[in-house]
Amino acid sequence: MDTAAVDQGSVQVGPAAGRLSNESFITFFMIAVLIGLFGMACAFVPNFFLPRNVLNLLTNYWYIIILGIGVTFLLVTGNFDMSVGGNVALTGVVAAWACQAAAASPNPLAVGLGLPYGVAVALALCCAVGVGAVNAFFIVRLRVPSIIVTLGTMMLSRGLAQVITRGAQRNTSLPEVFGVIGNTFLPGTPVKVAVLIMVALVAVASVVEKATVSGRRTYLIGANAEAARLSGLKVGQHVARLYLLSGLLAGITGILLSSEFKAGVSGRASGYEFDALVITLLGGVSISGGFGSVLGMFVGAIILSVVTSAATGLLLSPDWQFTLKGVVTFLAILAQRFALDRRNG
Amino acid sequence: MDRPDNVLEIRGLVKDYASVRAVNEVSFDVRRNTVHCLVGENGAGKSTLIKILTGAVGRSGGRILLNGREYAPRSPREARQRGISTLFQELNVVDQLTVAENLSLGREDTTLGFLRRTDKVQRMVGVMNSLEPSIDPRQRVSTLSVAQKQIVEIAKAVAAESEILIMDEPTAAISEGEIARLFAIVKRLRERNVTVIYISHRLDEIFELGDAVTVMRDGRHVATRPLAEVKDRAELIRMMLGKAVFEGYQARPAGSREVVLQVKGLSNRKLQDVSFEVRRGEIVGFYGLVGAGKTELARAIYGADPHRGEVLFQGVPLPRRPDQVIEAGIALVPEERRSQGLFTILTVRGNVPVMNMARISRHGFIRAGEERRATREAIRRLRIACSGPEKEAAKLSGGNQQKVVFAKCLFADAQLLLLDEPTRGIDVGAKSEIYAIIRRLAEEGKSILVFSSELPEILSLCDRIHLLYDGAIKGTLENGAGVDSQEVMHVVTGGR
Repeated sequence: MDTAAVDQGSVQVGPAAGRLSNESFITFFMIAVLIGLFGMACAFVPNFFLPRNVLNLLTNYWYIIILGIGVTFLLVTGNFDMSVGGNVALTGVVAAWACQAAAASPNPLAVGLGLPYGVAVALALCCAVGVGAVNAFFIVRLRVPSIIVTLGTMMLSRGLAQVITRGAQRNTSLPEVFGVIGNTFLPGTPVKVAVLIMVALVAVASVVEKATVSGRRTYLIGANAEAARLSGLKVGQHVARLYLLSGLLAGITGILLSSEFKAGVSGRASGYEFDALVITLLGGVSISGGFGSVLGMFVGAIILSVVTSAATGLLLSPDWQFTLKGVVTFLAILAQRFALDRRNG
Repeated sequence: MDRPDNVLEIRGLVKDYASVRAVNEVSFDVRRNTVHCLVGENGAGKSTLIKILTGAVGRSGGRILLNGREYAPRSPREARQRGISTLFQELNVVDQLTVAENLSLGREDTTLGFLRRTDKVQRMVGVMNSLEPSIDPRQRVSTLSVAQKQIVEIAKAVAAESEILIMDEPTAAISEGEIARLFAIVKRLRERNVTVIYISHRLDEIFELGDAVTVMRDGRHVATRPLAEVKDRAELIRMMLGKAVFEGYQARPAGSREVVLQVKGLSNRKLQDVSFEVRRGEIVGFYGLVGAGKTELARAIYGADPHRGEVLFQGVPLPRRPDQVIEAGIALVPEERRSQGLFTILTVRGNVPVMNMARISRHGFIRAGEERRATREAIRRLRIACSGPEKEAAKLSGGNQQKVVFAKCLFADAQLLLLDEPTRGIDVGAKSEIYAIIRRLAEEGKSILVFSSELPEILSLCDRIHLLYDGAIKGTLENGAGVDSQEVMHVVTGGR
């Protein structure tokens, strides 16, 4: 029995203590939407229900989901990160360039730094975190709005990738090891190691988000940054760390994707920042901060995956995919707002 | 046209908010072409009355006659059309436009939406120059001082042939020299058939400028008199205070003499050389009207705003960042509960432990059981009326929200509490509960600084009272039977 209730006569009549929080409500709501969409797709698209296809649905967007973790944390604090797509491209290109043999060659795009693979990866990750540091500097120290700063670094990082690849890609004279991690499958399954990394990162992020002081701070800052500051939270420092984290996650994604293609491609991952934002919003993260979860973002990614592959299965021309994605995203987010408003009266 | 002597007649005006009657059966007349002053303590109902006059809020009852005709504006725009303009503290000018453009803003002559050159602007500039020749109409408004911007707004009202100009604390943000210039202009407005309703906390201004004064208290009309019939400041203050009703102050046994906080020569943008000491177990009050520097002082000590000067807490210099100040053992209940104190979208459980997460965590992981237990404990101790730790803070009443903010500070285990307007906007019952909490904390040996613009609150709580005016301590008194609330009011309204 609640001691407070015994203590005073004037307890306000409220909902039962066992009621779901708004956040769990939204996650369950989006899972219901997902099941509904999946059911419809199964009814209309041939072979949609096959285990192989279901597995694909769950693993297709591993790279967007890894990016989505950082984007979710930041959006919960009320900040955007639109630089992740460009950062993925930059990281992949830097890794390739650093790894390419240093021997002279008539093709300038075949000449790299000749570093060992491990050093090349470390260098590329440093670049990725560096982009996060630039974001953090302008947003936290100089108080420039995050959307402006990260749109700037989005173009800056992709621009650097284009300079390094002369607008194309670096795919020659790379050591064998470069292509290993992106093309290794879990023994006896069609599941890539990258997917395993994604699952591990989502699991860790969910624990950090819900069970640690650091995760709690993320929500407090998003709920009310001024109250957080006056309550003794180091708001700037925390947001800066999240930008570094988001940069690191983009770096990991960049290493994995460049390995998968065994090339550093400057045009890689274009539009990923928007996909990452879309799945975050689909998952119920509030665009004004303070609300949302990594698990919700994961559900959002699967919804996007179901919609795009159903469209492909219906032989819808690829030209229509973008439009369809837009409509579904819009409807899903509207439904979410509607459900939440109904619930809270 | 027959124009009555009274430009404005207010009859039985009432305004009810959810639970309080902000304006209660107010009736008085304003004579044409006078400067009519409006005074009263914070919360006396002046602002609400002005909001009704300017059409910002509706009334709950009563009548207003403007030039003998019924006046019930539904919007500020309608009020302006009927001839009532207002000079708010937040000036209504567009910085990026020139003076001339500002003067004609909203009153441009147009054809199909295109601006037409007419002599209207010239006429308005003429009006402004007759009031204040030094302002160049081609100047950008952003290059003007606050006082000059005020003059642009006054000129705009005059040129629009406003009959009544309401001025809300116009001298709060301008310098001495500029005040003299403003007064000269206000006096000249009478000749231009403009009636001024003038609101100020600075009583000397009232005597210098006013023809008549209306005193309000607790939402009621106390008196309206020609200023010639008001003997002195003391009489005006007596009318403003009436017989202040407050819970009596009970002298508490003098605790230890150990000095906990020493502030020496604290200054910043709003504060001038503030020095004082606080002992263990003492409740020290800072009383002043709006703009006197109370919030600024609390925030400066807390490290939330920059400052010069020395602050020693338990003998060591206090750091200058909120997180470090909290760690040293000081916590703040901020002025604005919802925007600065509370995480409204989170639950009570989400709010209570935030100032001291270390107490409910181990190795960075939150101990959920410990957190719930601590929240229940806070709910029980402060008697927060809620269905439990999972109740959303936004859904609590104002008084219970404030108790949650107190709970945060107590959870931080603060030895010294800074309370900025601790009972603003909460009902009487919750108020006395909060007073009881404050007294209990002092008995437990915590030192408490109360920053308030409510004299009864200060008088019923504090052992010692510092009077603030214009960012400086203008007087200090020990609380007790001998405190003269009129003397207090004299000091905080700028009297010497």
